[in-house]
Amino acid sequence: MPPTSPDEESRDFRRKGEADAFGAFGLVISGVLVWGGVGFLLTEKFDNQVFVLGGLLLGMGAGLYLVWLRYGRQS
Amino acid sequence: MSSTYLAAEGEGFVSPGPGTFVYPPLFGEGTFFTKPMLITVLGTIAIGLFFYLAARRAAMVPSKTQYIGESAYGFVRNSIALDAIGKQGLKYVPYLATTFFFLAVLNIAGIIPVLQFPATSRIALPLFLAVITCLIFNAIGIKKHGLFGYFKDLMFPPGIPWPVYILLAPIEFVSTIIIRPLTLTLRLTFNMFAGHLVLVLFILGGEYLVFEYGGVVGVAAGSVALFGSLVLTAFEGFVQLLQAYVFTLLSALYIGGALADEH
Repeated sequence: MPPTSPDEESRDFRRKGEADAFGAFGLVISGVLVWGGVGFLLTEKFDNQVFVLGGLLLGMGAGLYLVWLRYGRQS
Repeated sequence: MSSTYLAAEGEGFVSPGPGTFVYPPLFGEGTFFTKPMLITVLGTIAIGLFFYLAARRAAMVPSKTQYIGESAYGFVRNSIALDAIGKQGLKYVPYLATTFFFLAVLNIAGIIPVLQFPATSRIALPLFLAVITCLIFNAIGIKKHGLFGYFKDLMFPPGIPWPVYILLAPIEFVSTIIIRPLTLTLRLTFNMFAGHLVLVLFILGGEYLVFEYGGVVGVAAGSVALFGSLVLTAFEGFVQLLQAYVFTLLSALYIGGALADEH
């Protein structure tokens, strides 16, 4: 394998934008999944549908907040 | 379900469904070796043979096979490993190249005459590769930052009051450990699944219209469908290569993320 040229060294994270796009998508899905899941379990236990609704909304909000935190802030 | 209804009547077109993807054993009852397995084995042998021939007599003035092999490997090295990870990525080119060519060949089997089945539309193959990728990038991250440091970087982004971590840390964990391999698997599997189903539908439907339905309308519509299947075959070839590329690129991006100093 040939040694890398100076040009190649400066190529770090040319594709950071793509990584961020997929990362953001994963975060929103996970948020809904985790806290929606917790809400679902509470709903099963206490037989009150308000938990699953609250969990889904909380998860969605937390996921979006996390996207902003990770990718939206100017650093 | 109109198609089942029509089939029960004994006439009409039965549209292909998920059953298209279930093959009986190749060597009769009681054996386990099916067509997707055969395609996997043949594909692996073909890749191995090709790169063996390409590397066997490596010379300064390359033969045609060596030139093609080097260009293909160079593509993975330059536009996947270097672009997504940077210089540190050169260490992972062997894994990325293996993944890319394995997937590309098994995907493209979907439009090769006689084979005509993308082995990657069976979920086991993409799932297995996605799990390997997941293990690799987590292992790299743990090795680089230490077990504690890696999960601290992963789950606790700086600059927010601590009670919020209760809300956010599980999301980050699930997103990295579960959602990443899951989306890798599903993206590849169902691109191949849907593409194959569309091709089968166009070809069987066109054949039915021309030979069974008949008449001017049937032949005209069937011809359009059969011609469309040719166009779609070309399109499928493009999608199959693209999906192999996307899978490999994302694997590289995850490795790059694990190597990065902070997330």
